[in-house]
Amino acid sequence: MADDETPSQTQESSMAREFSANGTSMSTTDVEAKLDKGNIEEAESSLRERLSLNSEEARTLLGRLEYQRGNVEAALRVLDGIDLQAAIQKLQPSSQQAARLVLEGVYLKVKSLQKLGKFAEAAQDCANILDAVGRIFPQGIPDAQVESKLQEMISKAVELLPELLKQAGKYQEAMAAYRRVLLNPWNLDNDCSGRIQKAFAVFLLHSGLEAGPPSLGAQADGAYVPKNNLEEAILLLLVLMRKIHHGDIQWDPSVLDHLMYALSLCSQTPVLSKQLEELKPGVFHRTERWNLLALCCSGVGQNKAAMNLLRKSLHINERPNDLTALLLAAKICSEDSQLAAEGVGYAQRAVDNAKGVDEHLKGVGLRMLGLCLGKQAKVSSSDFERSRLQNEALKCLDSALSFEQDNPDIIFELGAHYAEQRNLNAALRFAKKYIDITGGSVMKGWRLLALILSAQQRFAEAEVVTDAALDETGKWEQGPLLRLKAKLKVSQSRPMEAIETYCYLLALVQAQRKSSGPMKIDSQVQI
Amino acid sequence: MSSSNPGSPSATATSSSSASSFSSKAHSCIQALSSILSTVPSSVSSSSSLLHDPTVSSQISTLLRDPDSGSGDNDLCRWLYDTFHSPDPELKLVVLRFVPIVAGIYLSRIASRKSLAGFEAILLALYAHETTAREGQPISVNVPDLTQPSIYHEAKSSVKTQATELNLAVISPTLEPHGTMRSSRRARIVGVALELYYSKISQMPVSSKLEFCEFCDIWATGIQNKPSSSSSSKQKTILLPWELLQPSLRILGHCLLGAHKSKKLYEAASMATKSLYERSLHDIDAKAILATSSLLRLEKMALDPKLNVDHTEIDMSLAL
Repeated sequence: MADDETPSQTQESSMAREFSANGTSMSTTDVEAKLDKGNIEEAESSLRERLSLNSEEARTLLGRLEYQRGNVEAALRVLDGIDLQAAIQKLQPSSQQAARLVLEGVYLKVKSLQKLGKFAEAAQDCANILDAVGRIFPQGIPDAQVESKLQEMISKAVELLPELLKQAGKYQEAMAAYRRVLLNPWNLDNDCSGRIQKAFAVFLLHSGLEAGPPSLGAQADGAYVPKNNLEEAILLLLVLMRKIHHGDIQWDPSVLDHLMYALSLCSQTPVLSKQLEELKPGVFHRTERWNLLALCCSGVGQNKAAMNLLRKSLHINERPNDLTALLLAAKICSEDSQLAAEGVGYAQRAVDNAKGVDEHLKGVGLRMLGLCLGKQAKVSSSDFERSRLQNEALKCLDSALSFEQDNPDIIFELGAHYAEQRNLNAALRFAKKYIDITGGSVMKGWRLLALILSAQQRFAEAEVVTDAALDETGKWEQGPLLRLKAKLKVSQSRPMEAIETYCYLLALVQAQRKSSGPMKIDSQVQI
Repeated sequence: MSSSNPGSPSATATSSSSASSFSSKAHSCIQALSSILSTVPSSVSSSSSLLHDPTVSSQISTLLRDPDSGSGDNDLCRWLYDTFHSPDPELKLVVLRFVPIVAGIYLSRIASRKSLAGFEAILLALYAHETTAREGQPISVNVPDLTQPSIYHEAKSSVKTQATELNLAVISPTLEPHGTMRSSRRARIVGVALELYYSKISQMPVSSKLEFCEFCDIWATGIQNKPSSSSSSKQKTILLPWELLQPSLRILGHCLLGAHKSKKLYEAASMATKSLYERSLHDIDAKAILATSSLLRLEKMALDPKLNVDHTEIDMSLAL
């Protein structure tokens, strides 16, 4: 009987179903009636007679019929009549046909148990199937010699076992089962092994369970063995991406998304760039790909490369109004006075396009516009132009603040801009507010406050602020604050104390060189 | 805690006696708690029941949310601090269960200038524990180069090149000891507490993870939705540097795509992820945009039945 003649599960039970075996077929109607009355034996014997089957074969067909009809418990009752354990024990490598029948019976039982929510029991039976297969093929399954239907069933059981263990809440065992099925030769096709690899990667990433590295001993043979969950997940996802690039499996967007999540967490976005570049054309729209690549570059500070990509994607013929791209471009430009004028354009477009569901991004757009204008002011050719740009920048930041009243970034930037314009009272107000709102956790806030006070000739207070900042800062990050402190001492005509501070700074720098501690010094406020 | 001293010679004994010492620890812990809470059900008699009892955890959560909680002389903070220092690992889990709410309330209250020494003591204890456990070492991940064979794939050229291109990614940097909560290290200290929470997340009750999602949402938006009323109050936006965001994203990934089966948690995680995505756009934080947008797409795909065909279903043929 050809596959397309078999009724599907979704069809009503009144649809004609047919058994077929040994070249004969028969309608299921009579048998169904017997089963409905609870006469399993009668149903079995009529099948045996009409189709010349033995008892196990007949029971297997009856079980399948009940399973198809949605009578999962009845299917289990029918299968109870076969001693599957004993049959498994008797399996011979020589008779694949017989082996298949027995194992299909067990597999049917496994699926029935799963449907009934008896996951642990189902998992145990499923593991028995794999054990039996292991005994039939102790050297692994030889591709050329395995019957296709048997292989199909084995593949299903291999894929199902870890799922059942997860459903049973046996996560450690699921972890071990995944490795068992992926590290042994079950002769799975690419799609099936791809699905298992993906499911395992997802489990490794999100189960929250640290399983420890796979222990393979000599089996690893110089091959790379991942040493924790995250590494193993990334390896599997990269292997899957390679299969996609080679056309071994179909494109599956979720593989890339899982990889994107994992690699962003590790700040390894350049690896993601490589994967995006290798994807065949047509998978992503080109602008979408450019934008993703730009985010990858920007994620590791490769701003020049990011800008080149964003210029392409924001080109008038591409997608000039994509908000995320506009904001990213404006942000990168706002950090470079050579690009500031270009950034003003992007930021303005972002403000204009922050409508509807994206209305909430208007404040960000205005903030970027203010920053770009302020940066542009620094390289302007005339005083008149500079003050015009600075005023505009302040206006933008002010209205950005009206959209996001407690945004610490905007508050800091307003403080810095007012300080640049020598409006020190306003600058002081914002600098203090920034310290309040961030709880003094960001050093640039302290520095800004100290610099404003020092610009107001309030050196003693500036020094108090600097000392407070030093208290809140780990010693490796104290460099810029110490430099500031020394300068404040000089301003107060206390050169000896300044020298003392410089000596301490020097000692710190030397200690830092020697130690393997973090060398990072926070970006300084430029005023 | 004068009844049993773990350093005393009598404590160095077999595992069975250490198990009984754990149970007496749990007992004295529960006793101490009963003087703080209004009721501790009699069914709560072990560390495990302490971890999972809903009446106990909801009372503790309510007390932690009290506007005056978290000060240095707060009894509950003291209890959490002492309990975490118990040698019983299960009692440590009881404290970790409240990390979302302690971290959540603490960070939301920074700008309020209230005394938060009680919360800080707990968070510093978690940080110190992790620092000792890791001996201060960073946690890193190798991103493999597929030109070299691995246990999951064969490489075309098995020739070992000298410069094996392994990208070493530090996912949690070196831990320096911190005895006090310096504000510049605050995000890192809370972040490490979240890392510790994540490492035990498979043992955490759903209610604890729900609290995490709730606070994640508040951190991202600054908006606190009060369940009792329709009104929502705007709090101060808090900074979300990477050291805080990264462990949060890992926890959120578990809540959104883990195998826990709680519909309520999926929904809460989905909301928190959306809020963090919008926040990452506001901050124009490229890594956060990539991570949160991928989570949102994955959530959508997980709900699409067309993409979730069961390949293990039985072949419907009735032919042998």
